[in-house]
Amino acid sequence: MTYLEDLVVGEERQFGRYEVTEEEIMDFARRYDNQPFHTDKEAAKNSMYGGLIASGWHTCAMFMRMACDAQAGQNRMAMMGSPGFDDLKWLRPVRPGDVLSARSKIVSATPSENKPDRGTARVQIWVLNQNGEIVLEMTSMGRFLRRPDETNA
Amino acid sequence: MKYFEDIELGEVWDLGSREVSEAEIVAFATRYDPQPFHIDAAAAETSYFGGLIASGWHTCAIFMGLLADSIKAQKLASLGAPGIDHCRWLVPVRSGDVLRGRTTILELRPSRSKPMGLVTCRTELFNQDGTKVAQLQGVGMYGRRPVAAVAEDTELGVSA
Repeated sequence: MTYLEDLVVGEERQFGRYEVTEEEIMDFARRYDNQPFHTDKEAAKNSMYGGLIASGWHTCAMFMRMACDAQAGQNRMAMMGSPGFDDLKWLRPVRPGDVLSARSKIVSATPSENKPDRGTARVQIWVLNQNGEIVLEMTSMGRFLRRPDETNA
Repeated sequence: MKYFEDIELGEVWDLGSREVSEAEIVAFATRYDPQPFHIDAAAAETSYFGGLIASGWHTCAIFMGLLADSIKAQKLASLGAPGIDHCRWLVPVRSGDVLRGRTTILELRPSRSKPMGLVTCRTELFNQDGTKVAQLQGVGMYGRRPVAAVAEDTELGVSA
């Protein structure tokens, strides 16, 4: 189990590979972001984006999938969800055929002031395309359990 | 068409509501956030959350779904968004919840280089009990009213 104490501030990781398809871009957007530049190829051509682009929220979702997959083979994280994120920037459009990957860097791991069993980690996230260009960045937060006191275990 | 010039500071948009089903929670998370408390009702029961909850990204997607519908209904000249300043998932979203969105316009800034304006807004999502489940603040890009359209509207006597 990976607890708050096991997180190393400054540690960086690279993970994930996600091929973005036109079908998935349109599927996601029809349900959650129904705007012409996400759902209509012809209209998207005439838009300022010059073609179909993924919803920014779809890019977030694809990042989350890569993050979950990266954890699957590893020590289970003692995670209790996330309180949110800050400074999310969609820096470049994500287009059909793009292949995304992710990088993360642990910024801080701080015990809670009023709940002794847990704490919050802040992690800087970058999502890159196949050309190494950053398409998304944000500071994500995760709520982690602290390592139980061995002497009381 | 409602352009950047037509959006007023302090304006509030009622985004309407959407019901969140267990099937949708599981479908979204199976694809994008396959953690036990999002996809496995039995495992979720014994988790910290005491039952199945929606992925926070799913909550954001539902917010965007509501906003996109509102953009369409208001005929807003939406050009996408550069980012979100902050987002907090305050209370878990569970199956059967009905989420309602409310967006408040906080700041209006014309772009110096492009024919668009940047609109900072805060959106709050409430469940059926009136409890705020999420709050986010971000920026949207909206097209400027074309000069020709202004003239045309004036000639035809069309109000904005």
